[in-house]
Amino acid sequence: MSSVLVAGSLLSACGSDSSTSDSETTVDTATIESTLDTLSSDSTDVAADCPTEETVTAAKTEAKVNLIALPDNWANYKGILQAFRDKYPEIENPVANPDGSSADELTAVKTLAGQDDMPDNLDVSPAIAQQVADENLWEPYKPCLWDEIPETLKDPNGNWVAAYYGIMAIGANTKVVPEAPTSFADLKDPKYKGQVSLNGDPREAGAAFAAVMAASLANGGSFDDILPGIKYFAELKKSGNLTGTDVTEATVLSGETPIWIDWTYNYPGLAPKLVENGIEAAINVPTDGVYGGYYAQGVVKASPHQNAAKLWIDHIISDEGALGYIEGGAVPARYDALVKSGKVTEEMKKNLPAPELIASIAFPTQDQIAKAKEVLAAEWGKLVANG
Amino acid sequence: MRTPLLRFRLPVRLKPIALIPFFGFVGLFLVWPAISLFRLAIQPTKNSNISAMREAITGQYLQSFIYTIKLSLLTAILGVLLGSLLAASVLRIERPKWFRNFMTSFTGVAANLGGIPLAFAFIAALGTQGLITKMIDYFGISLSDAGFRISNFAGITIVYLYFQIPLMFLIMVPAFDGLRTSWSEAAASLGAAPLQYWRYVGLPLLTPALLGGFLLLFSNAFSAYATAYALSSGGARLVPVQIRFFLQGNTITGKDNLGYALAAWMIIIMLITMTGYLLVRRRAEKWQQ
Amino acid sequence: MKFFGKIWPRLFIAVAIVFFVAPLLSMARFAFQRIPVISLGKDNLLKRWTIDGLLTTLRDPEFTHSLSVSLKIAFFTVVVLLVLMVPTTLWVHLAAPRWRGVVETVTILPYVVPPIALVVGVSGTYRSIAPWFLASNYSLVPFYAILAMPFTFRSLDVGIKALDLRTLVDAAKSLGAPSLRVMWNVLLPNLRTSLINAAFLTVTVVLGEFTIASLLLKRTLPMYMAQAQGREPQGALGLGLLILVLTTILFTLVSIIRKRDATSISSKNINGGMVP
Repeated sequence: MSSVLVAGSLLSACGSDSSTSDSETTVDTATIESTLDTLSSDSTDVAADCPTEETVTAAKTEAKVNLIALPDNWANYKGILQAFRDKYPEIENPVANPDGSSADELTAVKTLAGQDDMPDNLDVSPAIAQQVADENLWEPYKPCLWDEIPETLKDPNGNWVAAYYGIMAIGANTKVVPEAPTSFADLKDPKYKGQVSLNGDPREAGAAFAAVMAASLANGGSFDDILPGIKYFAELKKSGNLTGTDVTEATVLSGETPIWIDWTYNYPGLAPKLVENGIEAAINVPTDGVYGGYYAQGVVKASPHQNAAKLWIDHIISDEGALGYIEGGAVPARYDALVKSGKVTEEMKKNLPAPELIASIAFPTQDQIAKAKEVLAAEWGKLVANG
Repeated sequence: MRTPLLRFRLPVRLKPIALIPFFGFVGLFLVWPAISLFRLAIQPTKNSNISAMREAITGQYLQSFIYTIKLSLLTAILGVLLGSLLAASVLRIERPKWFRNFMTSFTGVAANLGGIPLAFAFIAALGTQGLITKMIDYFGISLSDAGFRISNFAGITIVYLYFQIPLMFLIMVPAFDGLRTSWSEAAASLGAAPLQYWRYVGLPLLTPALLGGFLLLFSNAFSAYATAYALSSGGARLVPVQIRFFLQGNTITGKDNLGYALAAWMIIIMLITMTGYLLVRRRAEKWQQ
Repeated sequence: MKFFGKIWPRLFIAVAIVFFVAPLLSMARFAFQRIPVISLGKDNLLKRWTIDGLLTTLRDPEFTHSLSVSLKIAFFTVVVLLVLMVPTTLWVHLAAPRWRGVVETVTILPYVVPPIALVVGVSGTYRSIAPWFLASNYSLVPFYAILAMPFTFRSLDVGIKALDLRTLVDAAKSLGAPSLRVMWNVLLPNLRTSLINAAFLTVTVVLGEFTIASLLLKRTLPMYMAQAQGREPQGALGLGLLILVLTTILFTLVSIIRKRDATSISSKNINGGMVP
């Protein structure tokens, strides 16, 4: 028992070092650290057989897990990566190509096959996750807490899990737009002329695709029918409200894209920078179209560090990983289990959308997504881009 | 007329052997990948039964090609004009002596500046929250009310000119240099007016450089990828960016061949352009003699 | 023409300079001043200027890594290109003049294949045949060489035409020099300006190339800049500016120094001969 307490205080000591470098979230980190203290005393029961001693030892011998396309500011991967390093200091977790797209990840797997820097894990959109499965590149692995993951957030064959999901939200730079819009209907208002932007082109970027789906839900469409969403954006473009500038941290900071439609978990990472420049942002989940989306993570077949890769999956599903995601504004897969065991404090809940919203999220199936993509590929160009 | 100077013990026929490394290099790293593109592009995509090559030139894709070609043509023509004028103007400046060196160096860097830094520089200057926009606002002129957007055709044109003009400048400086002042003086002494000098001596001598410059600028604008991407995200109408959707994106899968087909069509368009350039140059050279 | 008087060229240049500098200044303001444009007014114009962002970016280990990768690639690209093109161009002028047209046409082939098309074709073919090639950072070298080939050829071509090749080579050979020494000790020094121009343009191409590096997932400097924009927007753009300014100054200095010790052999106004 005493060794566990020592371990717990060691963990919090490590944690407080990292929290001083991130002044904006000191409070949250401290709360999480104290929660982890209580956690570590509970987790000894599970720690014994999950992940197995062999896996952990083998992973430590491998000493590395190759990760890819995990931006620091995306769902707080910065914190989650750090937590992994704290837990397993012997294992390096370098992230290649942080801004890569899901397709880039698949390309990397194929190009680097057999090389030492082949990615061990992927974090990809559902569409690409399906493609990876079709090309037989997943190594099926059910992490320890598999049973606590809802059915909709994991692959039945164990190919991947969805460790986190988020909701489409409308972000606004309140310096430029004092009255932040709160619904898709709001965005049509002429006072927002030239101010609304998507995070990329929906034919290519997952976040933009989700925005169109959300808009569709807000305008009488459904998971099976994305056309109303496309028409909505066509209208927005015609009225001049939709800009063509790509949303990046730089454009948000400069105010060029004062209203952006993006995942709830993309905002918290940017907050410190905005505050430094005297900008406050408001994030509102649209009242008329609530759309949730997840990303899939799994182990890559025949990758160089299989055991470390499995450890990583366990880490992101575990409580530490889950709390890390919450800090970043993403809803972890095991959210319900965490809430039930009282590990989510009120402070943490502030980072997330309201509980009713979380409860109301449903995810489209792979088939619905596939069909929506076909319609998008055929119609977006015609109606929005070239219109 | 000019006899070969180096007489190695190779018969004349085999002299081109020394060019094999060159041709081999270009073949391996340029020609072969380009040809394989076509092989991939001819096949249809997952849910269609027409070849991707045909699909890539219809409907919205045709419109994208037209838009991209229009943009490339406009920026090429403007670039040729303005770049040449800039070159001519700079060559007139004798003092300070380092000015010409500075301009050559700066244009060399500016010609390769592209993508995100350039796009953002213009966003920072002329975007809705741009510095210059705000300055102009003080004088009561609102750019966005006038319908100007950095992501519109006009906006993208201006951004492209930032690297097109320097490129033309770099081509024209040696060309103008080659026009020896002795010739314009000789023409003047023979009684020719400046206009006649330009018509019969100057322009014909500059034509190869002008044509080459146009080809280069057109190809440069047509292929521009990173800049286009940063400026036209929500509604990309430019072909290079659209290729990315199929081959590097997060949403569309299984339509790789369409991406290859778009790239293949880009090559065909460029081949046509280059053939046109070679033909026109051949005629101009004949006329020169 | 009236345009080429005294006033108009200067006016035109002034306008051009404004056009080129204004975006850079705006970018600099964004990078170094922590006030959004909308809040900018006469009273806070001089406040909150800081280079912290830039310093953070410079201290980023990924920056140093990608910079070294890009510089190495640039170096090898220049070497490969010059080793390929100098003998070829010399040969074409000296021993196979009839092939000049063909070679010149081939050197503009890179314009026919847009980089995006090239890299798409490359990854399609090489991935199935020789994936180890694509895995290395140096796989960028031959493709960058192809991209820089047109300009290099032109630069060398112009330089060689300005020499009186015939006289130089005949003179050197009559003094008993073997062909390789002729090239190394006689021809190359006279081509210094062309070589430097070619090297300079190749380096700027490599340092600015994004498309191919992006699709082949390499960690080069332009890729780093794109990523750093997410983590540290002001720093990354400040870095872009810094590189631009440094490169320009560096090459201006180099070309000024070159001009000073260039002998008149490379000047176009002398009708050949080796008169110093």
